[in-house]
Amino acid sequence: MIAGLLFLALPLVLSGCTTLSTRSLPRPPSVPSKAQVAGVPFFAQDELQCGPASLAMALQWSGVVVQPSELTPEVFTPGLKGSLQSGLIGSARRHGRVGYPITGSEALLAEIAAGHPVIVLVNLAFSWYPKWHYGVVTGFDQERDEIILHSGLIANEHLDSRVFLNIWERGEYWGLLVLPPERLPATAKEEPWLEAVAGLERTGQWQGAAAGYDAALKRWPKSFTAWMGLGNSRYGLDNLTGSADAFRKATQLQPKNGIPFNNLAQVLSKQGKRKEALAAAQRAVDLGGPLTETFRKTLKEIKTKSAR
Amino acid sequence: MLQKIIKPVSFFLVFSFLLLDVSVHTAKARMIDTNTVIAAQQKEAVQARVTAFLGREDARKVMEQHGVDAVEAQKRVASLSDAELAKISQAMEQLPAGGDGLGTVVGAAVLIFLVLLITDILGFTHVFSFVKPQR
Repeated sequence: MIAGLLFLALPLVLSGCTTLSTRSLPRPPSVPSKAQVAGVPFFAQDELQCGPASLAMALQWSGVVVQPSELTPEVFTPGLKGSLQSGLIGSARRHGRVGYPITGSEALLAEIAAGHPVIVLVNLAFSWYPKWHYGVVTGFDQERDEIILHSGLIANEHLDSRVFLNIWERGEYWGLLVLPPERLPATAKEEPWLEAVAGLERTGQWQGAAAGYDAALKRWPKSFTAWMGLGNSRYGLDNLTGSADAFRKATQLQPKNGIPFNNLAQVLSKQGKRKEALAAAQRAVDLGGPLTETFRKTLKEIKTKSAR
Repeated sequence: MLQKIIKPVSFFLVFSFLLLDVSVHTAKARMIDTNTVIAAQQKEAVQARVTAFLGREDARKVMEQHGVDAVEAQKRVASLSDAELAKISQAMEQLPAGGDGLGTVVGAAVLIFLVLLITDILGFTHVFSFVKPQR
């Protein structure tokens, strides 16, 4: 009876989803045939706590000493009985680490080969009966077609790559790097990296943010946003001279953009250089743009401050 | 009837949106942060920031409704960019929340259990860690 039902149910189950995968891992020429990231500790998860456990593994690897239970209040959402992706990213920031999302198997292999563990979101069951789960990929072996990951209660689980790709596909191939800010991802792209670093500013992690922008500038020396970010984070660190230097660099890269002049004016004003500050603020107002109102306010404030 | 209220209501709405816009501007510090720099580089309209401002408050409320402690919800919201928060306030229920992974399907019907067992063996799913998929 049950067997009969199953026989009927199985095509229904499968037809709603993609066909059974027979794929193997991609073999990008730049990536070795096997790799294993060293120094990723394993934490067995408590019930529903794969988010905090996975994040703790990645954070510890990156040099932050933290237990999964300490992360539960930061990432776990009781009403959802799970942890959101943005929860992991935000929590990583609060510990001074950059959360950098990646997508797809080629990026996954490239990062593992570069020695970066990757948190992955998988759906263990079906799209209509989801069992969302986080694990930490620590290695792969092309010869044996296996992915190696810390998952649930199992350390270094060797998973057939076909199975892994099936369950990861249902997680839309989402992965997350948790990196010290001075360390660029192997697959780093300028804009996403800067967005990820800017997240550190939000949590007041100025030191980390400055390191992240520094790393970006080593790779992309002409990045306007990175110079702006460096100026902002040095300002946050009360390094006014350094901050002014960075904003000046940004004004050179985009001389028609008012934003760096506005921020430069702030710094100069704080340094007590009122004449230069007024000139920079006036320049921002003249250049205009969607933030003109803010520029005007900066100018006005520097004027009233000077009058006193 | 409807004709009568439409006018005052729309005036009221327009007026409150104007107030909102002003409050966003005054709330911004005069130092322009890097998130805003990035948004400006991506040529996002300033209007988008108004929506994002609403999203910040919504996201905090949604988190509290889902059992996150109030102080903690505030901190979580502070750690995320506007774009990241917009997702949460719009569709928290639909977002994947990783939690299971212990291989237990408590309360699932026997049928689902057996279906999952078979699909595990086929390598389509990976719910039970004791199942070795066929090559």
